[in-house]
Amino acid sequence: MNKTILTLLVAATLWGYGDGEMYWAPHGCDEGTVTASKHGGHGKGESAMFALMNMKENTSTHLILPDLSKQPLTFKLNTVMLPKPKMGGYYAMVAEGNNTDGVYSAIRYLSLQGRPSKVSPTKLTSLPKVALEIVPTPLHREHDRYTASKSYTFILSFMNKPLNNTMVTLETFNTPAQSYTTNDKGVFTITLPDDFKNVQIGRSENKPSEFLLSAQHRDGAILFKSTLSMPYSLNPNDYWQSQSYGAGAIFIGFLVGLFFYRRHKNQGVSRG
Amino acid sequence: MDKLLTVTALRRVIQLTAFVFFVYGATIFATFYTNDKLTQNLPALSCAYDMKGGDFCALIPLQHQMDHRVSGIFTQNAKVMEALIGTLITLGTFAILILLLNKAFCGWLCPLGFFQETISMIGTKLGITQMGSFSRETINKIRPIKWFIFLFLVLILPLLTGIGFLGHEWGNPFCSICPSRIMTTTMTGDMSQVYISQANWGYFALSLIADLLFGLMVALALFVRQPFCRICPMLPMQTLFKKIGLLRLVKNGNSHCDTCSSCVKACPMDIYEIQNQAENKNITHTDCTLCGRCVEFCPHDGVMNFKYGPFTILSSSKESFKKRTKIDKWWKG
Repeated sequence: MNKTILTLLVAATLWGYGDGEMYWAPHGCDEGTVTASKHGGHGKGESAMFALMNMKENTSTHLILPDLSKQPLTFKLNTVMLPKPKMGGYYAMVAEGNNTDGVYSAIRYLSLQGRPSKVSPTKLTSLPKVALEIVPTPLHREHDRYTASKSYTFILSFMNKPLNNTMVTLETFNTPAQSYTTNDKGVFTITLPDDFKNVQIGRSENKPSEFLLSAQHRDGAILFKSTLSMPYSLNPNDYWQSQSYGAGAIFIGFLVGLFFYRRHKNQGVSRG
Repeated sequence: MDKLLTVTALRRVIQLTAFVFFVYGATIFATFYTNDKLTQNLPALSCAYDMKGGDFCALIPLQHQMDHRVSGIFTQNAKVMEALIGTLITLGTFAILILLLNKAFCGWLCPLGFFQETISMIGTKLGITQMGSFSRETINKIRPIKWFIFLFLVLILPLLTGIGFLGHEWGNPFCSICPSRIMTTTMTGDMSQVYISQANWGYFALSLIADLLFGLMVALALFVRQPFCRICPMLPMQTLFKKIGLLRLVKNGNSHCDTCSSCVKACPMDIYEIQNQAENKNITHTDCTLCGRCVEFCPHDGVMNFKYGPFTILSSSKESFKKRTKIDKWWKG
């Protein structure tokens, strides 16, 4: 009974998120149950199972490994189970499908642990994966994570060429869609909202949320739609870390140093 | 123009170049990602928290390995070799770098060392009375601190965290208090590392120490030479390998050395031992940063030498001593 009520509540909360768009989500993530990672970017908190939401007909999927090799994935309904990672680094989950309305694609990046691949993540992000693609420039670093209240830059590309003056939409679980327009180089910058609820003190006590970027572009008669979905964490500086106190402590440390200087000067010590 | 032709001037140019590379390198030379860093085991305090940095220091992987890998020997019955392989790779890379440049990473390349020296130059130009050498007693009291920091903050506490005796905040305690973390990130316009955490007592204590230490270091650097370098845990780590370093300070002393002490006065780390008589002996001390000031300020021909392998690359002389002393007087006004 409790589970049913919880599911209804969650469904009500997420009503409208990613509406109609095909996007990747960790299995169970729609309920916000992705394990909070104590080690951002180490991959320990990554889910092994993902669901392709609003999956279209004829959709195929594959994984691009950190060494840029491809590995096909198989859907079970709309979910895929990731194989045990052979190497450490960034992976890209790619799905592409089509129907009479157009061509749909979804991408998600994962950082998983393993033997180093010795291939730069820049090669993975710059590798063309689908026709219309939202490319992080850069994708957050291995030991970092997407964080609320911080800004991130992306490029929207079509057939591996920047797509200018095109609208891109950002959605999160708790913030309605916001629109951004790409500049003449296809670049747009978003600021992830600080929209976490029931925040607990301590990074590992708070589950990451999800954001979804979506864009569309018509090329002749064909409509291309693409999404990029990623987790993001709350920013401790918005909650239990005080930057003004930090600056104050630095100032106090500086004053202590000046006290030592005064004492040294009064003692009349001078360097030759 | 002649004033610029000194070892210190050359060192400043190299320090500035290294600073740009290590603090902003990802925007110019390397890329943003950890995978793309030059060594990931630098024997200098270039910080991994700096997202624009070109490389980062060996102490962060070492702490992580203690926390996540070496601790597995005690908690998961991990095979010893499997648990130690990461640490051995770190130490191996570190040893190769020390072989090439030895402790010159401190005196010539460390961003935090250069930052402190820059503040010291500002202090001198502002007319702030500079402190001379610390007494032997004071130096003897300060010296063990770096070993304490290395053993406890870099090795033991992260290991105890991995075993489960301590909370996660003690997983990389040296990074949590390191002034380079605050300095390098602030230099790139990222103020997120200046904070006091209220997550728990451990986080609170570490963040408070970090901020106080940074403020104290900046103020002390105005009148004390290299304040943080004296307690930097990189020195003990370098010492483990300094015997294999091709670059070294070699002394071929004579009877004048008992009375002169010019080298000690010039030494920013107050190493009194370098004035002892020595005959063609490697005198690279644990605290030495191979800055070369002792060679510049030694008034005797061929007594203090920088050697790289069998080659002497810099030697003390009366002429260079006179020139250097003159420049020093001009600089201090």
